[in-house]
Amino acid sequence: MPDTTTAERAGFSADSGSRRSERLRLFTEPVVVLAILGAVLVWAFTGDLDDIEAREINAANILTLTWQHVQITLAVTAIVLLVAIPLGILVTRPWAKGVAPIVLGIANMGQAAPALGLLVLFFLLTQQTGFWVAVIPIAFYALLPVLRNTMVGLQQVDQSLLEAGRGIGMSRFTVLRRIEFPLAVPLMLAGLRTSLVLAVGSATLAFFIGGGGLGELIDVGYKLRRTSVLVVGAVLSAALALLVDWLGGLAEQLLGPKGLR
Amino acid sequence: MNWLSDFGSFVAGRWEQLLFDSYLHVSAVVQCVVIATVVGMLLGVAVYRSPFGSAVATAVTSAILTIPSFALFGLLIPVLGLGVPPTVTVLVLYALLPIVRNTIVGLASVDSSVTDAARGIGMSRFGVLTRVELRLAWPAVLTGIRVSTQMLMGILAIAAYAKGPGLGNQIITGLSRVGSANATNAAVAGTVAIVILALVLDAVYVLIGRLTTSRGIRV
Repeated sequence: MPDTTTAERAGFSADSGSRRSERLRLFTEPVVVLAILGAVLVWAFTGDLDDIEAREINAANILTLTWQHVQITLAVTAIVLLVAIPLGILVTRPWAKGVAPIVLGIANMGQAAPALGLLVLFFLLTQQTGFWVAVIPIAFYALLPVLRNTMVGLQQVDQSLLEAGRGIGMSRFTVLRRIEFPLAVPLMLAGLRTSLVLAVGSATLAFFIGGGGLGELIDVGYKLRRTSVLVVGAVLSAALALLVDWLGGLAEQLLGPKGLR
Repeated sequence: MNWLSDFGSFVAGRWEQLLFDSYLHVSAVVQCVVIATVVGMLLGVAVYRSPFGSAVATAVTSAILTIPSFALFGLLIPVLGLGVPPTVTVLVLYALLPIVRNTIVGLASVDSSVTDAARGIGMSRFGVLTRVELRLAWPAVLTGIRVSTQMLMGILAIAAYAKGPGLGNQIITGLSRVGSANATNAAVAGTVAIVILALVLDAVYVLIGRLTTSRGIRV
């Protein structure tokens, strides 16, 4: 029986909301994705390539762009983890009670901001191009699910458990580390998975401001009317996103505290 | 302050174009959400009684949502061309998961004693579905529709790349005119307008929720 809180989840999330379908995705997704990816790559590499296609569709170029894409995703994830979780912990402390709803409100509002707009604005304001100019706005965009889930996860911990912890002589910090944090981990991981999906998806837009990534293949294929290049770029970035999401799902299953599984 | 008055005169000078893009943006999102609501609810109703069917429907729609929207646009351009057809397809596909997921969860969480009672007083299966179950599940479905709408507002910005309609064109214009006086103004106007319109739509949904939720379960 699915819990009712799933229905009330307000925000972007690729989570299907049912355990059975999560298990279905966990087992079938990588197989299907790798099969399609393999078929498309074989089709692209064995086809008759003209000069332009040959310049784009070769192992070196594809590996470089994929690696750029992965690097953007990793950098974004690192920033998200380093900023969102400490910030989420900070604003849920009792002395920051007034700040929490404001931060949550801003986080919810940020959800409606278009990723493309943030990227372009950051580029126009800094007048720079390249890796970090793409990473920072994407990180800001992908920060929100982890921040919100950290806050909600910590807030939903039963107050009596905290008092019990204090009662048996734990310090405030120990209560946070040994009770609140572990109980909030499942929601944090769900948020992290959503952030990962947003990061890997927005990374396809990085090429707009010279940040590289697999979006470049899509762009070249579209502008020079080479369908094979376009399809390779699109299928690769879709496959990468699905695999990253799959890893996120795996992390949700494996890293959650044992008692809550 | 200097920048602000500059931006003000930009908006004033292009008021009609901005208004027209805003109208196209909201109208495209709302129409696609309506299509996705019909498709998503039909899908949800079709599978909610079978655990396996529910699992497959949510797994497939959540896999679609995972695919980067720019990649999906890319895949659809060779098939559907440019402009409205790929835009509508992408938006409807992305809007499906929250609606399907929440329809299934909403219908599954209807108390079985309520449906038993409805059957007991002689209602048909169809009557139970339309007059009891769907009405009780409606607030959950509406939450899904709300989430979908917020998402689509942002995703539609990318459609400008494939000659789609809406405020994304302001952002793309800003990008392609780097260095010119109004580049930043256009990008700011496009981005801010999308955020504001998304918030306005969200408020409209609160109102719709008040008006369409059955009196018995209104909070």
